[in-house]
Amino acid sequence: MAKKIVVDPIPRIEGHLRIEAKTNDANVIEEAWSTGTMWRGIEVILQGRDPRDAWAFAERICGVCTTVHALASVRCVEDALGIEVPTNARIIRNLMEATQHTQDHLVHFYHLHALDWVDVVSALKADPKQASDIAQSISPWPKSSVGYFKDLQKRLVSFVESGQLGIFSNGYWGHPAYKLPPEVNLIAVAHYLEALDFQKEIIKIQTIFGGKNPHPNYLVGGMACAIDPNSDTAINIERLAMVKKIIDDTQTFIDQVYIPDLLAIASYYKGWLYGGGLGNFMSYGDFPEKNVNDVKSLLWPRGVILNKDLTTIHDVDPRDTAQIKEEIGHSWYTYSKGSDKGLHPWEGETKPHYTGPKPPYEYMDTDKQYSWLKTPRWKDHAVEVGPLARVLIGYAKGDPMLKDTVGMVLGKLGVGPEALFSTLGRTAARGIECKQTAGFMGKFYDELIANVKTGDYRTFNSDRWDPSTWPAECKGFGYTEAPRGSLGHWIRIKDKKIDEYQIVVPSTWNASPRDNKGNSGAYEAALKGTPMADPSKPLEILRTIHSFDPCLACASHVFDMNGNEITKVTIV
Amino acid sequence: MKKINVVGLGNLLFGDEGFGVEAVRAIEACRQFPESVNFVDGGTQGIYLLDYFESCDALLVFDSIIPVEFEPKVYLYRNDELPAFIHRKMSAHQMGLSELLGVARLHGRVPGEIVLIGAPPHNLDLGGGLSDVMRGHLEKGVAMAVEVLEGWLGE
Repeated sequence: MAKKIVVDPIPRIEGHLRIEAKTNDANVIEEAWSTGTMWRGIEVILQGRDPRDAWAFAERICGVCTTVHALASVRCVEDALGIEVPTNARIIRNLMEATQHTQDHLVHFYHLHALDWVDVVSALKADPKQASDIAQSISPWPKSSVGYFKDLQKRLVSFVESGQLGIFSNGYWGHPAYKLPPEVNLIAVAHYLEALDFQKEIIKIQTIFGGKNPHPNYLVGGMACAIDPNSDTAINIERLAMVKKIIDDTQTFIDQVYIPDLLAIASYYKGWLYGGGLGNFMSYGDFPEKNVNDVKSLLWPRGVILNKDLTTIHDVDPRDTAQIKEEIGHSWYTYSKGSDKGLHPWEGETKPHYTGPKPPYEYMDTDKQYSWLKTPRWKDHAVEVGPLARVLIGYAKGDPMLKDTVGMVLGKLGVGPEALFSTLGRTAARGIECKQTAGFMGKFYDELIANVKTGDYRTFNSDRWDPSTWPAECKGFGYTEAPRGSLGHWIRIKDKKIDEYQIVVPSTWNASPRDNKGNSGAYEAALKGTPMADPSKPLEILRTIHSFDPCLACASHVFDMNGNEITKVTIV
Repeated sequence: MKKINVVGLGNLLFGDEGFGVEAVRAIEACRQFPESVNFVDGGTQGIYLLDYFESCDALLVFDSIIPVEFEPKVYLYRNDELPAFIHRKMSAHQMGLSELLGVARLHGRVPGEIVLIGAPPHNLDLGGGLSDVMRGHLEKGVAMAVEVLEGWLGE
């Protein structure tokens, strides 16, 4: 019988991402609906504030992506006011962003996504000797002895047996969709713990350049850090040497742990090529080598791919009011000039208008409004954003590093490029990109050193800091490619204050509801056609949704002493 | 000397959600502490706060909480009273205190002393700052924290 599966992680107060999926008799998903269940009206808070302070608020929108919102925000204010940042500031921003990507992708893979493929409980049955042999056959990483895996397994056994701890609770352990042998599971669990440990090192770069972490300082006009190789208090030789050491260690970890694990795990799942979805991809591009508005200088190119056609990359102009529009036909908002037409963010409005069911409810009326997310579209197309989009666009444009690495991954797995259009392809793209951004970290470090050696210590352009130098009215666009995809901030400034501020985050592109023409968003499209082994344990849904690295209503963080299950599954 | 981290969790943009961060700011401002006490505005950074959990001998955390009985008062939990577990979750953002403790435990680096001081939120509206009820809890919570810290420093 046809069923409706609801995956809804609502613990009493917090709102989040909710998925409803309709399956057929064979437990294959026929339709899916994605709902953002919490309003994030940050835009309203920003109205009337000093544009130079916007980044500090934007940084708090998201629990994980602080630096990317700060970066998009300062870029948008600088764009509005016509400020060019000094070379050092541009390079430091690039370096901090590459650091963020590298760390975020690594943590995503091991912490959020690995357990969709890795069965922790199966690792208890592994033969440590065999695990050691496998580990040594795929990587020169030194922590791979029999004793190492034996110790880890002993620790795991004692945790699982202690019971009272309930660690790794709510796992779908033993689920038929898990395919790895116990030894590969054990290696993956070992690296899960090592990765969570190692990522603490990577992030120290943000503290060095951002002054503090987890909320680093940004500044309209440049960066707040002072550079002076010979000063005790500024970024000096000693601190730069620390940065260099972290970069080298990071590259080693990605090459010797993340990439080999990705290939080893993927080789057992290459028959599971569901979750491709839209086949349309977009990137604003990022990592400017010159002015941020010089699109040709972006190391990550800007563009759109439609219908999986890698031979044509379409141009994207986020300033063009005809290209990007946010629709609200299925969202809980109203527009003053009519809710049936989309608005470009510069003309955008944030007027909440909830018409959904009163909680607690069983399911949404998906024919009407069913999400707090708006529906952004590029020239009326639903597009996917994120690592797969960026890797495909770079690959299609002939980036040599991507050509090599994508070729290596496809070759080792023995699959063709069509395999990229899948959940596994999205997961592989994130790993490929992590290797790329770890390389960028080294490149930007070298650029910074070279520039400082010329005697240029400037990190801040103060020409337009004083509001008396600003025009009476202006508007700006700031962008970045966040780990999860294209992030845009659009601002209107009037009488020295923020008049209107609109943010379109990556997960709004990916998790958006149906548009006015009835086209699905990226999550909704990706879930269609996926067979479920056991609908009461929707591992396959989580696997595909996690492959996008969702980021919704990340603002709330109340600690529940009851240990309530975070992800609730109901079958209607 | 004992290394102590005082970490405030929560989001300043959402009313009483900001309790943890406001409490850290308040305690840092209320008097001078030795350099071995480190104050951290943790926000909602989840796993990225792991270092602050694993790199100290004693850990004091402020957070808004949903206690079992939900009385409007300040709660203090110690060590084993705090649940440590790793949930199956929808996104990287559903990463809370319990999970940080779970990972620290697996790493074998749980601080010798952990205290959580929290109060149930009253109002989670956007942009409002702390409610009057929560402001009252803040004062009490900071006083309790000072006592805990003095105990640790005196040991």
